[in-house]
Amino acid sequence: MEGLIVSNVLLWILLAAVAFAVMGLVRQIGVLHGRLAPAGALMMDKGVAVNEAAPQVTASDRNGRPVNFGYAGEKNQLLFFLSPTCPICKSLLPAIKSIAKEQADRLDVVFISDGDMDAQQKLIREHKLEDATYVVGPEVGMTYQIGKLPYAALIDKTGTLRAKGLVNSREHLDSLFEVEHLKKATLQEYLNSQPHAHDHSHGHSH
Amino acid sequence: MHFDPIFIIASALTLAVLLASAATHKVRAPARFAKQLADYQLLPQALVRPVARVIPAVELVIAFALLVPVSRYWAALAAAGLIALYATAIGINLWRGRRDIDCGCAGPDQAQPLRPILLLRNSVLVTVALLASVSPLARDLGFFDGFVTVAASAVALLLYAAADGLLANSPLLLKLIGR
Repeated sequence: MEGLIVSNVLLWILLAAVAFAVMGLVRQIGVLHGRLAPAGALMMDKGVAVNEAAPQVTASDRNGRPVNFGYAGEKNQLLFFLSPTCPICKSLLPAIKSIAKEQADRLDVVFISDGDMDAQQKLIREHKLEDATYVVGPEVGMTYQIGKLPYAALIDKTGTLRAKGLVNSREHLDSLFEVEHLKKATLQEYLNSQPHAHDHSHGHSH
Repeated sequence: MHFDPIFIIASALTLAVLLASAATHKVRAPARFAKQLADYQLLPQALVRPVARVIPAVELVIAFALLVPVSRYWAALAAAGLIALYATAIGINLWRGRRDIDCGCAGPDQAQPLRPILLLRNSVLVTVALLASVSPLARDLGFFDGFVTVAASAVALLLYAAADGLLANSPLLLKLIGR
């Protein structure tokens, strides 16, 4: 009898532990859903086509040194379009900086902004961007037809535009690198291509 | 019909904790609960605010009354009635086709649209409440009975939280796979 009671107590405790683990897992899935919700950087259907040669443009950075965009080079180029008046842009700067640091050997990050120079200086001081390539001027944004901020574009070594989109979170930024890897224009295009693959083949057979 | 007191006390305890947690969510964010209540469009605008104040109080009173053996029977019936009332409110809005309003069933981070499965959830809760209202078989309760009761309701609550989380996640999952 004593053994049965001990076994019963033990079973209750273990059952409670399993139920707790299940609840924890469900909660974590909920959090993941919350983070995933808008999958990938949103791309507006205008401007330069992805997977084609990026338009070539040269602009001078804030110190007057020329910066080339869209030319073949040694490293990939990440263009981050921002403005000192855009709060989301500022919230993304730590993520951009960490990407720049992680991939320093194969990625050049260029910050592109426009507008009041004093506000730019303040932003640069606040976020310690003194060493970063920071372009102030409208040329690049006009060439790439950037209408909304914060916007990011990824150009590979050969000067081909690999991915671009409106970015609102670290996940969106990562999605740019992901789509470069998947050879799709946007993550949405990749996701849409998956479940509809069957439909397409079906459509062609008729 | 007589059941062993363990079943009845465990059901009452589980229900009491559920109601108390539901009430605290509502007390902590009265404005949000008032909005959810207004979204159900069942009450005239003037009554929404007072009712939004009263409901959490009623839930708390029922929760405490469930824990006291003397009042357990009536409290359990009241709880069954309250949960059935919620189910009716959900049912009416499902029938109206207003599926996109927030259910307001669980805490703040678990907004979920109305779906028929919520009626199933509430009917399970009504069953638990009715079980708690049954008069128990008279027998002496020892320490071990107390342990089993607490353990059973703890497991029931954890499983309820998990099931609730799954319910809240399923619309998000459907959205994610694009249906």
